[in-house]
Amino acid sequence: MESATLRKYLIGVVPLTVLSVLLVASLFMMSAATQDSGFLGRIYSVLLLINVLGISTLLVLILFNLYFLLKQYRARVMGSRLTLRLLLMFVALAVAPVAVVYLFSIQTLNRGIDSWFDVKIERALDDALLLGRTSLDAIKQDLLKNANEMAIELEASSNRTVLPTLNYLREVHAVTELTLFAQDGRIIAASSQEGPESGKLIPDRPSDTILSRIRQGQTYANIDASARSGLRMRVVVPVYARDVGAPIRILQVLQTLPSRYAKLGESVQTAYAEYEKLVYLRGPLKFSFSLTLSLVALLTMLVALWAAIFSARRVVAPIRELAAGTRAVALGDYKKRIPVPSHDEIGILVESFNEMTRQIARAQSQTKRSQRETEMQRTYLETILTHLSSGVMSFDQRHLLRTHNAAAGPMLGIDMAAATGQSVDWLAQAHAHLAPFTNSIKDALRAGGREWRAEVTLIEDTPNRRTLLLRGTLLPGLKGRYGGYVVVFDDVTNLIHAQRAAAWGEVARRMAHEIKNPLTPIQLSAERIRHKYLRMLPEAERATLDRATHTIVEQVESLKGLVNAFADYARPAQVRPRAIDVNHLVRDVVELYRVERGPVGTDTLVLRGAEGRERGSNIKLKLELDANLPAIMADAGRLRQVLHNLLLNARDALMQEPKATIRIATRHVVNGAQSIIEVCIQDNGPGFSPDLMDRLFEPYVTSKVKGTGLGLAIVKRIVEEHRGSIAAENLSNGGAIITIRLPVSEAAREFDKAGALVGTDARRAHGDPGG
Amino acid sequence: MCTLVTGMLPLLCAPALAAGFAVGAIQPRATERILQVNGNFDLSLTPKVEEAIGKGIPIQLVFDLRLYRQRPLIWDERIKTWDLRRELSYHALSGQYLVGGVSAVPADRESFTSLNEALTELGTLDTVALSIDQALAADAAYRLDVRVRLDIEALPSLLRPVAYTSRDWNLNSEWTTWKVQR
Repeated sequence: MESATLRKYLIGVVPLTVLSVLLVASLFMMSAATQDSGFLGRIYSVLLLINVLGISTLLVLILFNLYFLLKQYRARVMGSRLTLRLLLMFVALAVAPVAVVYLFSIQTLNRGIDSWFDVKIERALDDALLLGRTSLDAIKQDLLKNANEMAIELEASSNRTVLPTLNYLREVHAVTELTLFAQDGRIIAASSQEGPESGKLIPDRPSDTILSRIRQGQTYANIDASARSGLRMRVVVPVYARDVGAPIRILQVLQTLPSRYAKLGESVQTAYAEYEKLVYLRGPLKFSFSLTLSLVALLTMLVALWAAIFSARRVVAPIRELAAGTRAVALGDYKKRIPVPSHDEIGILVESFNEMTRQIARAQSQTKRSQRETEMQRTYLETILTHLSSGVMSFDQRHLLRTHNAAAGPMLGIDMAAATGQSVDWLAQAHAHLAPFTNSIKDALRAGGREWRAEVTLIEDTPNRRTLLLRGTLLPGLKGRYGGYVVVFDDVTNLIHAQRAAAWGEVARRMAHEIKNPLTPIQLSAERIRHKYLRMLPEAERATLDRATHTIVEQVESLKGLVNAFADYARPAQVRPRAIDVNHLVRDVVELYRVERGPVGTDTLVLRGAEGRERGSNIKLKLELDANLPAIMADAGRLRQVLHNLLLNARDALMQEPKATIRIATRHVVNGAQSIIEVCIQDNGPGFSPDLMDRLFEPYVTSKVKGTGLGLAIVKRIVEEHRGSIAAENLSNGGAIITIRLPVSEAAREFDKAGALVGTDARRAHGDPGG
Repeated sequence: MCTLVTGMLPLLCAPALAAGFAVGAIQPRATERILQVNGNFDLSLTPKVEEAIGKGIPIQLVFDLRLYRQRPLIWDERIKTWDLRRELSYHALSGQYLVGGVSAVPADRESFTSLNEALTELGTLDTVALSIDQALAADAAYRLDVRVRLDIEALPSLLRPVAYTSRDWNLNSEWTTWKVQR
């Protein structure tokens, strides 16, 4: 800032000040030069030129400045209007007084100069000159008369003897110098008052004009002003010859005027000449003075103008800076600082502005920092919420859905994007199956507890029943009030199922334990009774005993099967996984039921237990096996049991079907990083009963008259032991399909690459657990 | 203000006058170290200048002489320059015009009763001998450039602005070239 100010001064102020001072000095000298004939008088023209050039330079500079100012004004540059207004004000203040003073000065000057010259003085000087001339004329006439007398006396003298006569005549008539010339101007003789010591060897000679006048017979008498020794009288007369035809001679008489006369005459001459000169120079004097005055006035005005421009700029500069700074702040630049120009009020204003922007910048950065922190906090929370398996929803005071996490939508089975910003009631209206969920929330809100918990069951469609566990909490809000509430919910369906399965397992285990033990003694006892008493009884009772014991044995056998099934279900998992090929497994199982070979891919077979059907109505089996199936790690025996159970279930379902068909399909599904083998067993039977749909895989759920209800439960259990999933659904065109999904583990994949597969060697049939 | 305007009038509307200075005939003759000049100039004054002289203002005339050695193909070499000054003034008491040299020209003043006589005398260079610093080559050709002008700087300072800006005071002759006789 210091250097900028210094530069501004060096560029703007100093040169112009120097120029102005020089011009003023020059004008002063010029003014002095008009009065002075010394050195200043000699350089008058130079001074005048310097002044005119200097003022022109100043004028050009000022015009240049004004031009720029106008350009800025047109371009609406910040501060230019104020500068121009201030400038006009300064100019009006400075130029008007100078102009008035100038006009008065010019008038006064002209009148003053005119008043110096007086007609009376002029007349007096004229008279003095005339008087001088008249008195000189008298002397001249006397001298002319004497000269004529001398000429007459010289007529007789010859050239050789004339010198003594000349000396004599000079003495007698008391003249300064006498010279006799020949007709052609040659000096014949001369007599001078001054001796040779005066250094003047050659006598003064009249001009040719005078000589020619004398030759024509005229005389010449006049004052000689050219001499250095003051005024003297020169009289020239012809000297005629006595002899007829002889050439005339010429006599010149020089008479130095008496010193008193000479002094007075010179005085009159000088005074007159000076006065005449003054009168003549009156016009130029006025012109010169006016010129000087005009230049001074012009210089003053220009300097004032320049000072006005400079001052206006200086005054406006901080205001312009302030305006620019304000604009910058308005545009969001809070780092703008304005240099403090001075310590006056404007300086205080600028300092205040700087302080203000500093504070705004500080506040701004603080806000940004806290915003960033909040954002980080939010991202952090959002990440946690997104990866939470629980669903999270938050509502504001007006019960409008504010936020939710990614798990909420799938869990509720709705599109959460559409629900955002909607009320709880809207959710209930838009999605009817959410009614228990929304009702529970509304009830809790109405109760107004800080924390609440509830369990609801959503029935989206018949097979999909979900049980959700809800927990709600009020959120903290501003000024101690509550700002809404958050609801966290978990899908506990699987948990409940697992609990139920565990309970059933326990029941089965106990039943097997408690019931199985007495069965063998019952059976043995019944057989012994039969064996011992059948022959002893009469024929009529024999049939009855036989039938009764037979029934007991048969029923005990049946009961044993039932108990074994329960024992199987309750048996703890003993999976021995090996790499197997599912396709081989399917073919092995199907092979056991084959009756005869049909066309490729289609086999007609009689399944065990369906032997009673007519041959034409045998069940058709379709195999659609994926050739590119990878190996999986599984227990081949357990999986074989799964296939048996499902196949027999399908057979049982098709008992009344005239064109019964079972389709078994396998395929490999790759879903992202997950690799799954899907096995589908489809029949065209009557399908599952709708009211059993959601409990299909639970024990003791069956539609069969003779079923234990454990077949599908065991299937599910085995699939789950293999970390797979099972789903059952009814097809729209009749029939049911059960889909098993088994994951392809990394180990199996590696095994698959090695090419060693199990499945073909395990051709061992399992018993029918389903009955 | 009026004076300012009237003072500037000559500048704006100066009448075209036939008066002015002209170089008449010059006979320069050179020996080895001396240049002898004879010649005459036609000097006629404008009424304004005559009036100024009559009012006691002396005027100075400057005779500019420049001696060149002529060279073929390239520019001429300037040997020497002289400026001879002569003054013309009016003596009111005797009613005479005085002609005097200021420098170089004979210093003695001569008085004349008429202005024409004075101007004739003023415009006559009668065997004026000028010394040359270097010896002139015998076989080279020389020329002399001559002009006569009114020295405005010798006028009273008040008159100078007027004289500079007025045609009445612009009497200078053109440059003329004369062959130097050997």
